[in-house]
Amino acid sequence: MKKRSLTVVVLAILAVIIGVIVIDFMNNRPDRRGDNPYALDVDEYKKVDENLISHKETRNFSLGTLTATGICYYNDRLFLVGDSSLVVISPDGSPVGMYEILPNPTCIETDGDNIFIGYLTHVAKYDTSGKLLQRWPDLGESTVITSLAIKDNRIYAADAGNRRVVIFSREGEIMGDFEGKAVTEAGHGFIIPSPNFDVVVNSYGELWVVNPGKHAIENYTDDGQMRGFWQNASYDIEGFLGCCNPAEITVKEDGSFITSEKGMVRIKIYDQSGTLLSVVASPNQFKEGGKAPEVCVDEQNIVYALDFDRNVVRVFELKGNG
Amino acid sequence: MKKDKGYNRRDFINNGVRITLGLTVVGTGAFALTQSTTGKDYVWQIDPFKCTQCGRCATECVKATSAVKCVHAYDLCGYCDLCGGYFKPGAKLETGAENQLCPTAAIQRKFIEEPYFEYIIDEELCIGCAKCVKGCSAFGNGSFQLQIRHDLCLNCNQCSIASTCPSDAISRVPADKPYIIKGDFTSGEEG
Amino acid sequence: MIKKIPTRIFVFFLFLVMVGNFMQAQQRFPKPEFETGYVQPSPTTPEPRSIALEYFDVAVLLAVLSLASWLAIRKRSRRGLLWISIFSLVYFGFYRDGCICSIGAIQNVALSIFDPTYAISITALLFFLLPLLFALFFGRTFCAAACPLGAIQDLLVIHPISLPSWIRKTLGFIPVIYLGLAVLLAATGSDFIICRYDPFVGIFRMDGPFLMIFLGITFLLLGMFYARPYCRVFCPYGVLLSWMSKFSKWHMTITPSACIKCKLCKDSCPFDTIEKPVEQEYRIPEVSRKNLRRFILYIGLIPLLTLLGGWIGSRSHIYLSRVHPDVYLAELIITNPELKEDEANLDIQAFLEAGKSFEQLVEEAVVIRSKFKKGGWALGGFIGLVLGITLMNQVVFRRREDYEPHKGDCFSCGRCMDYCPVERPLRGK
Repeated sequence: MKKRSLTVVVLAILAVIIGVIVIDFMNNRPDRRGDNPYALDVDEYKKVDENLISHKETRNFSLGTLTATGICYYNDRLFLVGDSSLVVISPDGSPVGMYEILPNPTCIETDGDNIFIGYLTHVAKYDTSGKLLQRWPDLGESTVITSLAIKDNRIYAADAGNRRVVIFSREGEIMGDFEGKAVTEAGHGFIIPSPNFDVVVNSYGELWVVNPGKHAIENYTDDGQMRGFWQNASYDIEGFLGCCNPAEITVKEDGSFITSEKGMVRIKIYDQSGTLLSVVASPNQFKEGGKAPEVCVDEQNIVYALDFDRNVVRVFELKGNG
Repeated sequence: MKKDKGYNRRDFINNGVRITLGLTVVGTGAFALTQSTTGKDYVWQIDPFKCTQCGRCATECVKATSAVKCVHAYDLCGYCDLCGGYFKPGAKLETGAENQLCPTAAIQRKFIEEPYFEYIIDEELCIGCAKCVKGCSAFGNGSFQLQIRHDLCLNCNQCSIASTCPSDAISRVPADKPYIIKGDFTSGEEG
Repeated sequence: MIKKIPTRIFVFFLFLVMVGNFMQAQQRFPKPEFETGYVQPSPTTPEPRSIALEYFDVAVLLAVLSLASWLAIRKRSRRGLLWISIFSLVYFGFYRDGCICSIGAIQNVALSIFDPTYAISITALLFFLLPLLFALFFGRTFCAAACPLGAIQDLLVIHPISLPSWIRKTLGFIPVIYLGLAVLLAATGSDFIICRYDPFVGIFRMDGPFLMIFLGITFLLLGMFYARPYCRVFCPYGVLLSWMSKFSKWHMTITPSACIKCKLCKDSCPFDTIEKPVEQEYRIPEVSRKNLRRFILYIGLIPLLTLLGGWIGSRSHIYLSRVHPDVYLAELIITNPELKEDEANLDIQAFLEAGKSFEQLVEEAVVIRSKFKKGGWALGGFIGLVLGITLMNQVVFRRREDYEPHKGDCFSCGRCMDYCPVERPLRGK
């Protein structure tokens, strides 16, 4: 009798074991697992007040096999570089021209007379029909050229690797460089934690350089003397956050800035003194933790953003224009 | 031992079956070996480029405190004051625990020189929850990343975090190259 | 000569690729120029266990198996076997944390055969092969002394009860299903269920999730009354070992000389593996004829059962395939498209973030499911076949004059040798 009850107990325990295993096996499924107890919710910072948003994405064009690394706008044309191609397209996306260039460009700038294309350690000058005119001297191993700007006879090349801006003549002679060091308290020089370093010249001929580590945009004389700056480090929409923002900027005709941030990707417009005017695109429209899109703007205030994560050019038009 | 005649036939069958079974076993093993490249050993590792910081490394590892730790790829770090992996979003830039993102305060912040700060992970305290990794990649350079620490990992045959990882970021890697540390701007994303 | 040129070109090409990669790797982004002489630390990378130690484990296994076989067959020492098993428990169990293990190695072998991208390590392969080869010659000495899972249960056999034969035989069929499922799931890359439900690994590590510890303790408690429950009711490796052991060349014997049929050994065996001498009844013509008829019937049943099992297996491949996370995810998204918006569903969110298209996922799921269809046939057929053979064995009578261990089920633990009165005087006890 005792043996019988033991048998029942043994069988019951076995049944429990099998039951537990089967139930666990069935239940450990992707839709039945718990939430992340350690979630860091960044969604709050992705939200942008609707009233601040001035632009709307109206279209985009995919670049096909070209992996674009740089974009600029001049006179109703978009110039894109990547791989070993220079592609010229009209703002509606239809191709105008395609030229073979030296491989692996990083950035492009044009003023209508010449096209300057930046590479990792040097700059090359092309004519507007894509013909190589000059290959400028190599700036050394640690050079990482990320951006170019043109003012009359001077070409400014942002060298993120050496944390300096190199000044070239149109013929490629090095006329000097500057590291942004000044006597003021903001004068630590350029702090560039990652290869994001942008330089622009606006329609008034002012030279502006981003100091991404300081979340600042700084104004320099033609020779590299600091004249002024504004900075705004903040998690809020008014400022720049993360360690190297704004990663890309461009200037509108009226001198206001269009900035583009990486990480929590957002594109915003600031006035000359650093007051936020409006938001072009909010983080929800981009990949989380994405690269900063390179931006350019045309006379109609249409913003073209080269989205590196998707390899498309995205077009943002003013909301009013439909 | 048994000399009975009847047993001879059975011995014969037994021998035959034994040889067959032996050949099957050895054959299976040899086949498994030919299907594989070498006798290399493999260990589990997280691909930081695939990781989505879901937090399961902290909860699913068979060890009570996960063998996954945050590793700082210093090469990528911007040494910023405003560190998205160290401070809670929106918090004041003061080092009090209430402003720190890490639930176990495992990140030490050290001032180096204006304006640089160094961030060090205390692996004794780290639980591998990836909260700082998320913060660092959402706001910063992505220099914080998760790695399986091989002095702690038991190298289970079936890694229980690998089987619940939603992004298939955990796989076997050759034991002679057991870590995937970010830090090379030319390979993969820069975050 | 002509044949060699492409190789050379290939090598040259490989060289170029490697140089290219090397040059790319050099282009790092320079660090801030610290003025205070700060030196940037580099992330530490603690090394995994060295491969030499892995081979040492194989050597230990080989030594343990050899010693155990010698102790069981030549030395006939229960005590020796016990000590070896305690050593294995300490070494493979507590020191090596229950990983590496021959039972789990089944899955590595299965995966490496069906997944060309997975390379099995030599150590895992040897852990799979060695005990089987030993069983083929010496019986299940692996179970007696080398398996830490067996050892921990064996130490806790306190009051073993004997279950009715039909229950034992039914329970004994579970490992076959378990083995089949484990191989199918491993071969399709779905899951390693043997490792996931290894009950003692949590105890060996003194650390683990609740379920693992719970299963371990439950098994140990159960093992006090039903000896070595994991080995007898679950262990899939035991199935393979028992096939080998059934045809072993030198199996452990209960008595060193002539059996006196005292039945003491049968009572001493906690696993019910010692079989009585077979009475001559089956030689009676009527009984014999009846048995022959049943034998023929069962032989005929084998292909039927195999086909039926295969058919059932293939019919259930849709259910089986859901074990694979990709198939499950694809189905989940198809049936509940609203889950795509569910921020809390980490798996779906991670999939969406990874940038793989839904069509790709479905395509992969379809491929996996077709593997499961084939696998379902194999699994069902295998179970049917084993069932058929088991049935057939029910009516195969072998003349047995002495008390003998069932060579397939016997763990060679050596308890019966201690109890054999023929042995005792020889030992001088």
